[in-house]
Amino acid sequence: MKARTRALRGKTTSAPSQAAPNHVTAAKLVRVRLVLGTSNSSLGLVLLIVASWTIFGLGGSGFLSSFNLYSVGQLAARDAVLGMAQAALVVIARMNLAVGSIGAICASLLGYLLVSASVPLPLALVAVCVVGILASLLMGIVELRSGLSSFIVTLAFLSAYGGAALLVTGAQQYEITSKVLNRLGNGSLFVSSLCPLVAVALVCGVLVWLLYTRNGLGWRMLAVGSNEQAARVSGVNVRTVVLASYAISGLLCAIAAIMESSYQLNVNAGVGSDWLLPSFIAPVLGGLALTGGDISVIGILLAALFYDSLQSGLTILNVPSYWLELAEGLVLLVAVVLDQLRHSRRRSARYRPTEIVAVLAEEPVA
Amino acid sequence: MMGKLLRAQWMPLLGAIAVAGVVLSFTNKEFGTAFNVYTILQTAAVDAVIGLSQMVVLSVGDLSLAVGGIGGLVTIAVGNLFSVQHWPIGAAIVGALLIGLVCGLLNGIIIAYTGISGFIVTLATGTAFTGISYGVTSTIPYSNVSSVLVTLGQGRVSFFPYALIVTIAATVLIGGALRFLPIGREVLAVGGNREAAVLSGLSRQRATLIAHTVSGLLAAVAAVMYVGVLQSATPATGSDWLIVSFAVPIIGGTALVGGEASASGCFVAAIVLAAINDALIVLNINTDAVELAEGLLIFAAVLAGRLGQVVLRPGQASGTRRGGGATETSGAPAATT
Repeated sequence: MKARTRALRGKTTSAPSQAAPNHVTAAKLVRVRLVLGTSNSSLGLVLLIVASWTIFGLGGSGFLSSFNLYSVGQLAARDAVLGMAQAALVVIARMNLAVGSIGAICASLLGYLLVSASVPLPLALVAVCVVGILASLLMGIVELRSGLSSFIVTLAFLSAYGGAALLVTGAQQYEITSKVLNRLGNGSLFVSSLCPLVAVALVCGVLVWLLYTRNGLGWRMLAVGSNEQAARVSGVNVRTVVLASYAISGLLCAIAAIMESSYQLNVNAGVGSDWLLPSFIAPVLGGLALTGGDISVIGILLAALFYDSLQSGLTILNVPSYWLELAEGLVLLVAVVLDQLRHSRRRSARYRPTEIVAVLAEEPVA
Repeated sequence: MMGKLLRAQWMPLLGAIAVAGVVLSFTNKEFGTAFNVYTILQTAAVDAVIGLSQMVVLSVGDLSLAVGGIGGLVTIAVGNLFSVQHWPIGAAIVGALLIGLVCGLLNGIIIAYTGISGFIVTLATGTAFTGISYGVTSTIPYSNVSSVLVTLGQGRVSFFPYALIVTIAATVLIGGALRFLPIGREVLAVGGNREAAVLSGLSRQRATLIAHTVSGLLAAVAAVMYVGVLQSATPATGSDWLIVSFAVPIIGGTALVGGEASASGCFVAAIVLAAINDALIVLNINTDAVELAEGLLIFAAVLAGRLGQVVLRPGQASGTRRGGGATETSGAPAATT
């Protein structure tokens, strides 16, 4: 923790006696919140998933068939990665409205490289990831240079990137014939009901989890998210943290685009047009506050699984697909309202660390 | 008054577009015709009201992603009430406008009384509204549209579309309400500095509630106009309103962080956007470029506004950048709970 030591050194000159306890409580607080934040919303999600699987399993035929579970896993894997792409910026109290447009650029580029330019697959995948990172980094640079909110910057890039992808490809359809990609998106892993994409999502999840819990950069991201000015004053290089977060978001968008291309196998600049809602549903249902400073990878993974179980289950219960959008909206709404009612006391206390410590001291930590 | 008008943020933009328009109408035979100007103004008429709908929410320091969703729901309400329930067209329009108002009120209640960020609430309700319109119609549009609405959407005197009258009325009413009515001033005060406004006895809840309700009503007005323009009530209406709804007020000089609004700016910005859109089509440039141009224009407008601030009021501008930087860069303007 370079940032923390620097902050400490600054403080020792004025108040040496207070610096050490502050440092310890801050570290403890972050750790306690990571554990608590995870278990609370995750437990609810596990219950929701069990309940919905029971209802759909009993109510409709074929929900628990291996074919259906396979497709739920396939879609949930993509939505989980998408959710993490959004979460990378939500953590630092920003947002990325351009996830879909970056996805469109990445999917079109993958199609072009594989089909029209006959580039070997590994090279194409690397190129797509690099372009995803660069596209997102550009937004970060513009945000820092202009001082505008990430909302407006990514909104403008949503339309600029979307237009650019359409303009360059002319809405051309690319038919991907790569056997490796096909096996990744439509093959099976160990058992016939498990899509290899689930493994991709889990690997991404573990890496993201390691970043935020075991890595100084991730800790600095959480610090910037919970209080940017305090982080800056304590010596965190906010600029680097913001750019790194944008880069991670872009990389995860590119991976989500590759995942979608691998099971669609037929891509055009329309990929990503429906990504905005799932990208927010996963982190918000997973318990992340849009005000930043929170992360729960397990929450995001479970939320993505619940979201796609619900969609698939409603289809199996013969709900016409036109009503699915209403269901999605209502689920998101009910989830945020319930969460707010449940946590309103803890949320408001978040900015008074001493109080939280007092509360935590009384409550047994499981 | 005149001097103030000349210093408005959108003035350089309007000037550049006017010059480009005059040049274009001399070099291109189609651009300057009365019919083409009518087409531009017809598009602008609807876009301006969509922009006003977002502007009202922006001025209270919040934002709404549900403008398009409300638009879609109101569109199918007009179609359903008129061609399935056989209501007279006047009653159908009033009924549909009421539905839009109630949708906005619902957003306002949830946001004002739970304290959840407007972004996530309107993302959810907007999706739900869109879902209702798709569910009710099974995506099949109502093609039987009243002749009254068609006259409103398509009628014109030379280059002047009738729809523009509605837009001008809405612009004057909203601009006037924000400037002269106590509730309008309250909305701006709460948007400008929430804590100061609350401490001086204004109600944040009331301001948020009113702003979202008016926004819902304006989205409904835009949808009713759009039914006339399109001559069909399709549930897909509103799916492409998101970017327009932000581009119009931002290009028109409305502050994203709240407290500042310009209804006339919306009007001008909508005309500018429609003119660029039209020029790209008339000049046979790929229509996909329109989307790209919109994104770049948002930037140009916001950055031009920044630059203007720096040149006109150097101390103040750098002050906002430093001090206000925290609020401005912390995600969406109203993402606070």
